[in-house]
Amino acid sequence: MKAKKVLACVLASAMVMGLGVTAFAEEGGDQKITVWAWDETFNIKAANEAAEIYKAEHPDVEIEVVTMAQDDIVAKLNTSLSSQSYDGLPDVVLIEDYKIQGYLTSYPDEFADFSDVLNPEDFAAYKTGVNVVDGSFYGVPFDSGVAATFYRKDMIEEAGYTEEDMQDLTWDKYIEIGQAVKEKCGVDMCTLDPSDLGQIRIMMQSAGSWYTDADGNVSFTDNQALKDAITTYKKLVDAGITKQTADWDQFVGAFNNGEVASVVSGCWVASSIKAAEDQSGKWAVAPVPRMSENENSINASSIGGGAWYVLQNVGNADLAKDFVATTFGSNVDLMNQLVSDISLVSTLNAAAEAPNVSEGVEYFGGQTVNKDFAEWTAEVPTVNYGMHTYALEDIMSEAVQAIVGGGDMDQVLSDYEEQAKAAVGQ
Amino acid sequence: MKKKVRFTVNKKAWLFVLPSVVLIVAFVFYPMVQAFITSFQTGMGNNLTFGGAANYQRLLTDNTFRKALFNTVLYLIIQVPIMIVLALAISSMLNDKKLKGKGFFRTAIFLPCVTSLVAYSIVFKSLFATDGFVNGFLMNLHIIEEPIAWITTTGFARALIIIAITWRWTGYNMIFYLAGLQGIDESVYEAAAIDGATGFQKFRYMTVPLLKPIILFTTINSTIGTLQLFDEPMNITQGGPANATITISQYIYNLLFKYQPNFGYAAAVSYVIVVLIVVLSFIQMKVGDDKE
Repeated sequence: MKAKKVLACVLASAMVMGLGVTAFAEEGGDQKITVWAWDETFNIKAANEAAEIYKAEHPDVEIEVVTMAQDDIVAKLNTSLSSQSYDGLPDVVLIEDYKIQGYLTSYPDEFADFSDVLNPEDFAAYKTGVNVVDGSFYGVPFDSGVAATFYRKDMIEEAGYTEEDMQDLTWDKYIEIGQAVKEKCGVDMCTLDPSDLGQIRIMMQSAGSWYTDADGNVSFTDNQALKDAITTYKKLVDAGITKQTADWDQFVGAFNNGEVASVVSGCWVASSIKAAEDQSGKWAVAPVPRMSENENSINASSIGGGAWYVLQNVGNADLAKDFVATTFGSNVDLMNQLVSDISLVSTLNAAAEAPNVSEGVEYFGGQTVNKDFAEWTAEVPTVNYGMHTYALEDIMSEAVQAIVGGGDMDQVLSDYEEQAKAAVGQ
Repeated sequence: MKKKVRFTVNKKAWLFVLPSVVLIVAFVFYPMVQAFITSFQTGMGNNLTFGGAANYQRLLTDNTFRKALFNTVLYLIIQVPIMIVLALAISSMLNDKKLKGKGFFRTAIFLPCVTSLVAYSIVFKSLFATDGFVNGFLMNLHIIEEPIAWITTTGFARALIIIAITWRWTGYNMIFYLAGLQGIDESVYEAAAIDGATGFQKFRYMTVPLLKPIILFTTINSTIGTLQLFDEPMNITQGGPANATITISQYIYNLLFKYQPNFGYAAAVSYVIVVLIVVLSFIQMKVGDDKE
């Protein structure tokens, strides 16, 4: 009995979750493409519109767009690609810029090369930086992750500030406004998720820095921008003007329900903000705040953003490649349509000329937000995300909690730097 | 002659157990050995190379691993005793012959074990959300002034995990005790009653010692279950805030599926669980073993 129990546990633990894969999308005949992406209000809408355009020209082709949480996509790709079992994998998949270098390194032969059909120079340089490897061009860059401050005009004005105050903003000023908002309107300034350091990533990149240095080596202790970002983050927490959330749904719920006065995030969050139709006209957009204590920090940064990849060993690689290349890779009309439907900030250079970009958006009080996004995109400092952003971020989230809780910054960072180096094998 | 008979009997016996032996070797021993070998390899994804004891060395400097180990042990030493005592108390109450609606209560308390782990975790998550049912309830009763941030505060998040698994598993253990209690002869209690034993004395000096083998079994079972705890932290808190509720199993999952897959290190962490379970089960066997 005892032996059997022990064995059962050994098996269970040694193979923990080895069976995590489920066959999800069934591969159809020769003319079927499956697409995986996340975010119903944004990526899925884009994929469906692209599918419609493609199907109009190729009536025989069937395209299935599957919505899946990003974490699930990551887990499924990791399991299936490492065991090289392609059953149930999609032909086309959206992958975040932070993650793709890790995939391209771990699974070098799984992704289709687009260099024969597309030219990397047709896309924003900071996007192609992550998916051009040794002259091969893996994946078609999709959305810009340019960061912005979305804020409730009505609440900011009630607190005694104007739209003018929101321009050229520093985080210190942002906190000051937040305190006024909290006092006058009784709502928090923004959400904060202790497990997701999006704000710190925005602050770091605004100063041209990352968890890793330009060569991809872990850099915590000698990283002034990171230290300034943590200091700013601590100020934000200590000011008591943040609403704690634990996941994406709570994050979206907070601003859709009017529980926070601003959202500092990627431009892609616009589609989720617009989901609350009753708040139309109350929102405005400004550049991200900069860190006043860091002279390199500017009012432009980036967060998230992804690209479409084709898995070449799954099924219809050629068809899938053609689909992605002719829609997201070159179709300016599609980009134009997506600008107005989901506020896409395309990274296809030709899309900058699309007519809808310079049109005012009613939801944001007629502000030409897409034009603003495009302008800020050009200013975003380029950083090397390296291969381990999320592994490092999990480690950093513990360090940040320790520092926010009163730990000594230099001591904590040097402790965790050691762990981080071990984690990424340096 | 005698020898030959034994031989054929043995041969036949082996034939019967052969299928299980083959299956166990293929699906238990082989993966075990393979995982052990993998734990000495380093590298990302499928690009693995032999790295000696590098993974085991890394364990020593890994704060997240230490945190996961701490959390797992914390759940173990707080949750298992609470649950065992609770299950014992409930089962001896429900064993009362005079109690009305016994079947209903038994079913009601056992029912949580039938629910899916993921489903109940998600329900708990929404019940304990900052603006969820539990906070609303406590605030209406004026027990608390401000809503409690169950999921985003370290202490409350850990308490929440413990509350959740206690709710889910108490009924399961209760069933074992109820079954055990059926086996205790009524006359033992009658004799005790004649000697003037109170209800609690009967429980302490009769029920508990007589149920000892079952208590041992459920304790080991719960220990193993807690060491492998995964679904609840994964679904309720995602291991957050900032890995404050992460368990070893979830850390293994993160190493494999959330970050760039590191099979070698994940296998090394798995073997820590193996060693822990073997050691703890051994200790519990020894402690529970009667000298006579």
